[in-house]
Amino acid sequence: MHPRDLRVETFAKYPPQARSLAEANLRVLKRMPLILLSLVLRQVIRYDWSFPAEREQLLLQFEFLDHLDAGSFDALMSAFSAIPLPDELTSTDWVDHPQRFSEQLTAYLWSQNQIDNYHQTAQEYQQRLQKAFPPRPPVVPRWTIVVVGRGSQPSERPLFRRLLPRGTLFTQIDPAGGLELLLDAVRLRAQQHPLEYGHWYIEGGEPHPEAAAVPGLTMMSYNRLASAAKQEFALLNRFTKRASPGGTVGVEAVSSYIAGLGPEDLNLKGTPADAALRNFEVNILTQGAGCQIYSTTFVQWASRECLHRAQPLTLLARFATRQSDAPMEQLLARDPLVQPQDKAGSLIDADMGAYYTWINQSRLADAEQSRFLAWFEDHGLACAIAPPLPPGRISTAPITMRRVLDAMA
Amino acid sequence: MIGSYSVSTRTECLQQIAQQRAMTRRSFLRSAAAVGTASRLFGFAPLRAAALPKEQKTVVVTFGGGARDEETFAPEGQENIPHLMNELIPQATFCTQVVNHGILGHYVATATLATGVYERFDNFADVAPKNPTVFEYFRKGLGRPATDTWVIAPSNGFNRIGQSDGTQFAPGFGAQVILPKHLLASALSKTSTSSAGLDFLLQDNYEDPLFTPPAVQSNVQLSGLIEMLHLSLDDFTHHAKTLSSADELSVYVMRQLMRQFAPSLLWITLHDMDIAHSGAYSLYLEGIRRTDRLCAEIWQMIETDPEYKGRTTILILPDFGRDSDFSASGNGFQHHRTGDPLSRTTWMMALGPHIRQSRTVDRPLDSLDLVATLGAMMNFATPSAKGKPIVEVL
Repeated sequence: MHPRDLRVETFAKYPPQARSLAEANLRVLKRMPLILLSLVLRQVIRYDWSFPAEREQLLLQFEFLDHLDAGSFDALMSAFSAIPLPDELTSTDWVDHPQRFSEQLTAYLWSQNQIDNYHQTAQEYQQRLQKAFPPRPPVVPRWTIVVVGRGSQPSERPLFRRLLPRGTLFTQIDPAGGLELLLDAVRLRAQQHPLEYGHWYIEGGEPHPEAAAVPGLTMMSYNRLASAAKQEFALLNRFTKRASPGGTVGVEAVSSYIAGLGPEDLNLKGTPADAALRNFEVNILTQGAGCQIYSTTFVQWASRECLHRAQPLTLLARFATRQSDAPMEQLLARDPLVQPQDKAGSLIDADMGAYYTWINQSRLADAEQSRFLAWFEDHGLACAIAPPLPPGRISTAPITMRRVLDAMA
Repeated sequence: MIGSYSVSTRTECLQQIAQQRAMTRRSFLRSAAAVGTASRLFGFAPLRAAALPKEQKTVVVTFGGGARDEETFAPEGQENIPHLMNELIPQATFCTQVVNHGILGHYVATATLATGVYERFDNFADVAPKNPTVFEYFRKGLGRPATDTWVIAPSNGFNRIGQSDGTQFAPGFGAQVILPKHLLASALSKTSTSSAGLDFLLQDNYEDPLFTPPAVQSNVQLSGLIEMLHLSLDDFTHHAKTLSSADELSVYVMRQLMRQFAPSLLWITLHDMDIAHSGAYSLYLEGIRRTDRLCAEIWQMIETDPEYKGRTTILILPDFGRDSDFSASGNGFQHHRTGDPLSRTTWMMALGPHIRQSRTVDRPLDSLDLVATLGAMMNFATPSAKGKPIVEVL
């Protein structure tokens, strides 16, 4: 099928809101080159379960494209159109399976030495969109708090050394009640700035009991999702055995199968009201690597995707220890929650995870005004990045967590 | 705001960034040199070419998994590579800028290194390289027997790397490929040794642990291989129990090969650091440290083996890098999917009797240059290879 052949009924298998969105923007979709169209359809097909920030961006994109004159539209699309596609790719079912199409497209672009050209084209397109509708700053500066080292002891390896050039390192924080105080700060922000999927708590172990009672706080935890990850592996095993008994199953086939899994497949139950969160959790488990087996990877990857997709006003990410390393077969089969823990390794993982979380926050609108705190749980060490605090400074004076937060405000 | 989220990112200035990284690597080396090796690193060490023996041997060590500067040659990374920094680099010519313009998958990229042509096949496919391999050039060009060149490879997916698909080069001149994990798995099935506790040596790959690798069809029957290496199955499996990683198993097999056949062209691909795909940074660092130690062990093996000492050049290079922390479409060290400049730019070091010590080469090199360099080094033609010999190591 060619994009110009798209019709209203083409989207019959899409979820209701996605179908309406496609129908409403059919004129634009029909004019898009297939490469870009497949990327847009990936967003459209999950529209019903998208976060408000994602929806807004998609609608703005359609609005922008719809108002372009023909010449500008074609000029914007020309670089995508110039990338040749083989018939075997264009003849696939890219409408109902845009994710699968993207995977095949990626493999094709690599094989044809076109991947750099594609990246360049995509980046230029993105820049044009950002110029047309610059990201809207959040109603209040974003706050991200990363808590690392739960259950770990200090090591010789210095923590937060990648963050230090950007913030102030506090070495004498009174850790007593620190976590509760941070949760209170999150609670207060959720209360003062209510926003759907605007305030998040991502936990690498068992969630703090007080967090469940915070209104407006979206919460996800590794411990709660570990059984879903096991279910995912069980389904994959079943699929690979059924698809090719004793033989080889291609990476693309596995990827496509995973991409088709939904909350019900992974036994993730919820209400229609939190369907977006359930689907987000599925995306985390099916699209991330390693986050199923290592809680540290889970927190890092979920935080990244949360910042990327939900663009929250507040994020509290708390790392716990992960299970010790083992052969992959064992890691995929065993229960990660009852295994020996690699405490020293987990602290190193979390330290890097904190740095990546800061990088990902820094990619969002108004990043210069954002606040970021990384704290070694139950210890006196934290690094705070905020406009009022000088970068690269080490504060060795005793201080409370409350005063650190006040200094960041 | 750091490079905002986008569908995908790609900077235009690969060459410029590669050059910056090269200069940065050079300055890293300079900073390291200042604490003890300055005179060796920047002095003008004499060539030892006059002592070059006729029967030269070459060992190629590649890393499948890529190590970034942040975890290696950057100041904060040097703690992870003490052997490379303190033992090998002072004796080496170090090429600071080797760029891989091809597909960043380990098998296809290693095949590219071995053919000198950018191979374009599916990384996970059970196919041989399309273009002639350096092993075929070597054997045909110098009339060498099959036992004179071997490949030790990390996963079943590499089992076809020793010989091209035959469309451009008559079959029968390839290298014999040993897959130590495959060897161990088969040995375990033939001995009374319990496989308990050895699973960690058998993990096929980290990039897609759910992928089922192709079945291995080796030209060399397992039992014959064990016999050829003069290994007792029990000894082999028992020794495996003393090892801590798959790469250690590979180096152990390499030692046996060197003892039994003393091959002239020996290629080993290490893979432990690719555990980075799991996202656990600490495990990635462990992999780098182990690789660093194993590189030094391999050099020690060469220097203490009469068949190799004083007549062997070793070339050490990653197949490519890993994604930058700042590439918005990637996730930092975890993968190598963006094709960003840092994931393409890496380095190479050469040590040996005719290699000038303590020298850095900053000009841009291409991954394709390896085959042409090996050909020029060992005196065989590489007609289909696209790269150019690296004159600084000849």
